[in-house]
Amino acid sequence: MLSVRDLGVAFGAVEPLSGVSFSVDKGETIGIVGESGSGKSLTAMSVMGLLPLIGGRITGGTIVFDGQDLTKLPERAYRKLRGGKIGLITQNPMTSLDPLKKIGPQVDDVARLHLGMNANEARARTEEILGTLRIPEPALICDRYPHQMSGGMKQRIVIAMALAADPDVLIADEPTTALDVTVQAQIIRLLDDLVKQRDLALVLITHDMSVVAQTCDKVVVMYAGRAVEYGPVEAIFDRPRHPYTQALIACIPRGLDDTARLTGIEGTVPTVINYPKGCPFHPRCPRAEAICATDPPTFSVEGDSAAACHFAEVAHAQPA
Amino acid sequence: MPNLLEVRDLSKRFSSGGGPFRKARSMHAVNGVSFDLPEGRVIGVVGESGCGKSTLARLILRLIEPSSGAVAFDGDDLLAKTPAQMRKLRARMQMVFQDPYSAIDPRYTLTRAVAEPFEVQGVKPARPMAEEVAELLEMVGLNPGLASSYPHQISGGQKQRVGIARALALRPSLLVLDEPTASLDVSVQAQIIGLLEDLRTELGLTYLFISHDLSLVKYFCDEILVMYLGRVVEALPDTAAPARHPYTRTLMESTFEPDPKKRRLIAPLEGEVPSPFDLPPGCAFADRCPQASALCRTETPALSSETGHAVACHHPL
Repeated sequence: MLSVRDLGVAFGAVEPLSGVSFSVDKGETIGIVGESGSGKSLTAMSVMGLLPLIGGRITGGTIVFDGQDLTKLPERAYRKLRGGKIGLITQNPMTSLDPLKKIGPQVDDVARLHLGMNANEARARTEEILGTLRIPEPALICDRYPHQMSGGMKQRIVIAMALAADPDVLIADEPTTALDVTVQAQIIRLLDDLVKQRDLALVLITHDMSVVAQTCDKVVVMYAGRAVEYGPVEAIFDRPRHPYTQALIACIPRGLDDTARLTGIEGTVPTVINYPKGCPFHPRCPRAEAICATDPPTFSVEGDSAAACHFAEVAHAQPA
Repeated sequence: MPNLLEVRDLSKRFSSGGGPFRKARSMHAVNGVSFDLPEGRVIGVVGESGCGKSTLARLILRLIEPSSGAVAFDGDDLLAKTPAQMRKLRARMQMVFQDPYSAIDPRYTLTRAVAEPFEVQGVKPARPMAEEVAELLEMVGLNPGLASSYPHQISGGQKQRVGIARALALRPSLLVLDEPTASLDVSVQAQIIGLLEDLRTELGLTYLFISHDLSLVKYFCDEILVMYLGRVVEALPDTAAPARHPYTRTLMESTFEPDPKKRRLIAPLEGEVPSPFDLPPGCAFADRCPQASALCRTETPALSSETGHAVACHHPL
């Protein structure tokens, strides 16, 4: 459905994103996981064609959706796609809703713009969608303002807006980060159900490996603007072959089943202006050798998964 | 071990003033909280936003005044202290804040930030200040060469380390940690948690650890208090204890494990935490609880602990 190949992004002379590839099919969820500054939100913005807004440009690669390369799509055509066939759910529902406009008209606008519906048709559709999102009394909610609703409810409205134009692909950028755990569980369950019922392709961007383990079919692990490992979720958690993926999994407390000490990863995530040469992870990597500081690693493929590490062949068998 | 901290029936009520267009409202941010923290233990306080956990932390250090109740620190009744006495005592009870970006003055060098507690308390360290600061920075895993840097020149994780160094400067016995890793990346969170574990053993510290992250609390703490809308609804005597309160069970079920094989069908709780203003009588959780009965809507369950595992529920699991 959506296939990104070797995507690179630049802002002037700095290149915060390079060599990112992934693909997602109908009824499938792919997780893009990484820490802050790893380029995961930038990937989302590239797919949405929003880079010019923040002064960035695509320097290479392709983004193929439904047979057409989006990197060559003129803005006018993009406008039809964005919020139409490709929906976006942002991290902070508090800022993606217009505080001065009632919920009903905000959601109606999507169907009016993208599906050419009249006001009555659009409202009927809005109420139907709110209903499928298990929002009680949709008609009443349509008459409310965002400030009268809780965080979880606002996030549902944002999801309703993304669904209103009947998209094929949904990009969710940290959809639950601003929410409490019990509400996070509700929203994750909701997204899961939507993927199955509507045969959506979902790109779930998150920093949380637990969310990936719970919901995704495939995962791309990003670090310093590059994909460092990708593959089916079971394979990546079972046999992580990139030291960064291994460390990222080891950073999460597992409650009682595991008493292993949390150690974290030495050092900090590099910023765009000081991306290391060679392998971007080498300054923090426990098994780095001379070659890691000079030569960028290529992907070593094993089955459906691949890791960009000079030592990927041995990394799982002998973790550093 | 003797109790370093004894909290009895501590409450804080905030009210918002009425006006010509609005009725006065009151909210019970913290409602009748009692617990003992023995020396050397780590108690975790876990709950969702608005449950009163941060207010509880501030009440314990008397950064805000409680509406009622008592706090004893090392046998001393804190509420009987004058401000001057309180300030002296605070050298022994320190807090690490959630947001290291706003906890340190941006115009201070790290040296000045770490030396500030000495200045405030009017304490002169036994050796030159520069040496003292260097040792504190090393203690929290920072290169003493950073001493003349400013906060904007270091990363978030390093800033949190400075926050911890400041808290440790006067060698306190109690540290209240208010979501110390909530604003950090996971790899850095794990570093800070590791550091806090080391410091606890090295310096014999006692921690009150406040967090919304149940798996982190389970990993880090000896005992867990679960809060919901200002009340402690359950006190888990150890981290292996099964949940007896339906809310605790929901929290546990909403926490995902980083293992795709342990994927489960989540049956999420309906609804969200209600507004804490003017709560109806009865159990605050009743509206979201799958086993609520008529009794739950009229009578507030008390925290009772016949088995050493306290729970405030009419129908415990």
